[in-house]
Amino acid sequence: MSSSLEACPRRGKAQGARKGILRLAFSIALFLSAVAYPLPAFAQKVRITNLSDVDFGLISNLQADALRSQNVCVYSQSTGGRYSITAAGSGAGSSFSLSNGSNALDYEVEWSDQSGQTSGTSLTPNVAATGRVSAATQQTCNSGPAASASLIILMRSPSLSQAREGTYSGSLTLLVAAE
Amino acid sequence: MTNRIHIASAAAVAATMFLAAPAMASTQGSFGATSSGSVTINASVPGRVRISGLSDVTFSSVDPSVTASNAQNVCVWSNTSTRGYTITATGSGAANAFTLANGVLPVVPYTVQWASSSGQTSGTSLTAGTTLTGQTSTATNQDCSSGPAASASLVVSIGSSTLQSMSAGVTYNGTLTLVVAPE
Repeated sequence: MSSSLEACPRRGKAQGARKGILRLAFSIALFLSAVAYPLPAFAQKVRITNLSDVDFGLISNLQADALRSQNVCVYSQSTGGRYSITAAGSGAGSSFSLSNGSNALDYEVEWSDQSGQTSGTSLTPNVAATGRVSAATQQTCNSGPAASASLIILMRSPSLSQAREGTYSGSLTLLVAAE
Repeated sequence: MTNRIHIASAAAVAATMFLAAPAMASTQGSFGATSSGSVTINASVPGRVRISGLSDVTFSSVDPSVTASNAQNVCVWSNTSTRGYTITATGSGAANAFTLANGVLPVVPYTVQWASSSGQTSGTSLTAGTTLTGQTSTATNQDCSSGPAASASLVVSIGSSTLQSMSAGVTYNGTLTLVVAPE
């Protein structure tokens, strides 16, 4: 009797120790599996919309800079709405250059991560401008701010005043990436 | 009913033909890890010309037995596809005549020649108020600050017989205006 009374507490202690070891082993296994097989990160997405063609028309005053600015919607799911933007022109080596078939007319591109701007950060072809922040709360700015950035196209007087007569055209591609 | 459909289709096709969007138009980005959009940029540059590098012409103490002539290099720039231009000269005399004057003394006629290359001492004779066409510039910069230093020659002359009719010790003045236009 006395011996049975002594045996029971020993069995209880052993079972408790086994449970603790099992719990610890399970936790370690869970940790190791999380480290070894991490869940895929949620891919942050972006979108650029509301782009309009740029028409300078006939530039009669070649002694002054010509400028066109437009409001654009850039939306980013990244924390703080961060994104980068990369511009590429249709000139040689993605340069910002228009052509009339035989002659080139250079232009400059500026970007502001606020709408309604007529100046911004100067962009270099194929070089990402990082650290941009979007205030857009909807993919196409259908709600919230109606636009979240400004695209500014500039033709400088020195280029214009040396340009050959003619009609020039080209395209500009903008690539937005989440940051 | 069938006829109506055909008419509507034809009208739609016609409308599409007349209201067709430009071949290149802006594109909008889609929602993704990156998003890309594009715009078309168009601009037209009008024909422009510029004449510069002009210097005043002074004939002083000239020998009246020979024609007095002054040639100067001028910069004419044109941005047309052929770099072509026209030039029109007018004097300050009656009816834009090329004449110099001093008060009531008889006016003194002079002649003007133009060459579309620099370094010339003769060229095409200009008639006051009459446009000389078919000129071509080699200038690559508006004021010839780079490229060729000049692209044309202006030659002003006073014939010996005219010089012999002028009063000695008297200064005659006049103005010559040159108008260049793209061609």
